Amino acid sequence: MPASQWVKTLIFYELLVGMKATITVFIDRIVLRKRKAVTLQYPHEKRDLPGTYRGMIALLKYDDDTEKCVGCDLCEAACPSRVITVISSEVAGEPMKRYAKEYYMDMTRCLFCGLCVQACPVDALAMTREYEWAKYNKRDLYLDKEQLLALGDRNFPVREKKLEFQHPNVAYFNIGYKNLPPKDS
Amino acid sequence: MQMSVFALAALVKIAVVMGVVLLTVAFLTLAERKVLSWMQDRMGPMEVGPYGILQPIADGIKLFFKEDIVPAGANRFLFSLAPILSLVPALIGFAVVPYGPNYEIEVSGVRIKPFIITDVNIGILYILAFASIGAYGIILGGWASNNKYSLLGGLRAAAQVISYELNVGLAIISVLILSGSLSMVTIAEKQAGSMLNWNIIGMGHGNGIWWWFPVTQFVAFVVYVISSVAETNRLPFDLPEAESELVAGWMTEYSGMRFAFFFMSEYSNMILVSCIASVLFLGGYHAPYPGTILSGGWALAEGVFWFTVKVYAFLFLFFWLRATLPRLRYDQLMRFGWKVMLPLALGNIVVTSIVVYLLRI
Repeated sequence: MPASQWVKTLIFYELLVGMKATITVFIDRIVLRKRKAVTLQYPHEKRDLPGTYRGMIALLKYDDDTEKCVGCDLCEAACPSRVITVISSEVAGEPMKRYAKEYYMDMTRCLFCGLCVQACPVDALAMTREYEWAKYNKRDLYLDKEQLLALGDRNFPVREKKLEFQHPNVAYFNIGYKNLPPKDS
Repeated sequence: MQMSVFALAALVKIAVVMGVVLLTVAFLTLAERKVLSWMQDRMGPMEVGPYGILQPIADGIKLFFKEDIVPAGANRFLFSLAPILSLVPALIGFAVVPYGPNYEIEVSGVRIKPFIITDVNIGILYILAFASIGAYGIILGGWASNNKYSLLGGLRAAAQVISYELNVGLAIISVLILSGSLSMVTIAEKQAGSMLNWNIIGMGHGNGIWWWFPVTQFVAFVVYVISSVAETNRLPFDLPEAESELVAGWMTEYSGMRFAFFFMSEYSNMILVSCIASVLFLGGYHAPYPGTILSGGWALAEGVFWFTVKVYAFLFLFFWLRATLPRLRYDQLMRFGWKVMLPLALGNIVVTSIVVYLLRI
């Protein structure tokens, strides 16, 4: 070991370097006021969410309060964690139209990947920016259709207009569609 | 009559010292969290009171109302005894620390020293003896918990405290050689003068023209500080409670006020160790400049002020070390204690004895 190394060992050189680093931060923070805390006082102040933040999933409605969902089950098929359960049913008196009679999401399993939102052919699903959903009872996170629609109403108050022109095969399933446009011939 | 005045004065002094020490312990917990967070770009406790200033009170109330759990299969008696055995020796050492100048006042015929509870002529030995009993608290607590992590923590504490107390004792010996007394008051008085007379620099021990020759105790000081950090089980030597390996070491099974006793003993040990270090090496209540600036009664307050400053500087050093250094491995700890600290302390004794002998010819 060279002599300089011996000296460094004897005076605890590495320790002193570390001590200098911490005291520099301390002085900058307390005396010179150059630094600020990088942490936030969370419940009082919240972080800005990134634009593409994926929070709770919501079911959407059109602006005339009809549900967008056509009960096609594609979200259930797309979901990797089997969060979604759709019980599809015919619209009474209109055998060609379907809707989700019951719609459940077990949010305890959801990993917020957004595949269901991508899979939805009628854009009935959306990811909100809500995240404070800690519950004392795990069963409170088993959301039914009303809760999911309420989430949608709360987070998307400005609703989308009903589409005038969708692909007819898709539009065919839409409950809200009273007058079907003629099919392409 | 005289006896009762004497006893009353002693009780008042004890009450004041206990109050100050326990208050310091309470607010040290807050200060430690704050200093650590400032060094790590965080905020620390901010919720209770302005800037979290009342956090220790909230912690105390919480611990007081927590469920008191004795684990199944634990030895109830030793489990309850261990926290007491840990806290009492930590507090008892404050009896011999000189907090201010060795000044006497006369109250109805009884001479009372207001800044010194007792001047035991074996003061430092008394502190060391009780500090060793504190280790029993940790070992018994670890053993009585009937938990493998606690037992491992207790065994580690035993080995560590014994290894490092040896170094503390040896580092102190050279100071005792210089001052020729075991009494804390005499040791502090021998360092009167200025900063140069403090044992860390150690001038003023030679005869005649050699008055200036420094019998520096810097090595002893470093050995003492490092060993005392290890002895109080603080980072970077907190192996007995190494939370990443042993959950919480010997206090894994403790909760509520029993845990609070261990916690308080750790912090009052820190204060005690800081008091000893400032008395033995940094001149106790003496100011770094010769004499005192203020006169009369204010000079006494100045002495207390300098003692407080030194103690708090040491406590800050404890936090600073904790914020900087990671924990040692166990074999590193032992190797450092026995192969580095012990020879250094022994060598220091030999060198100091020879130098003092030559200076006093």
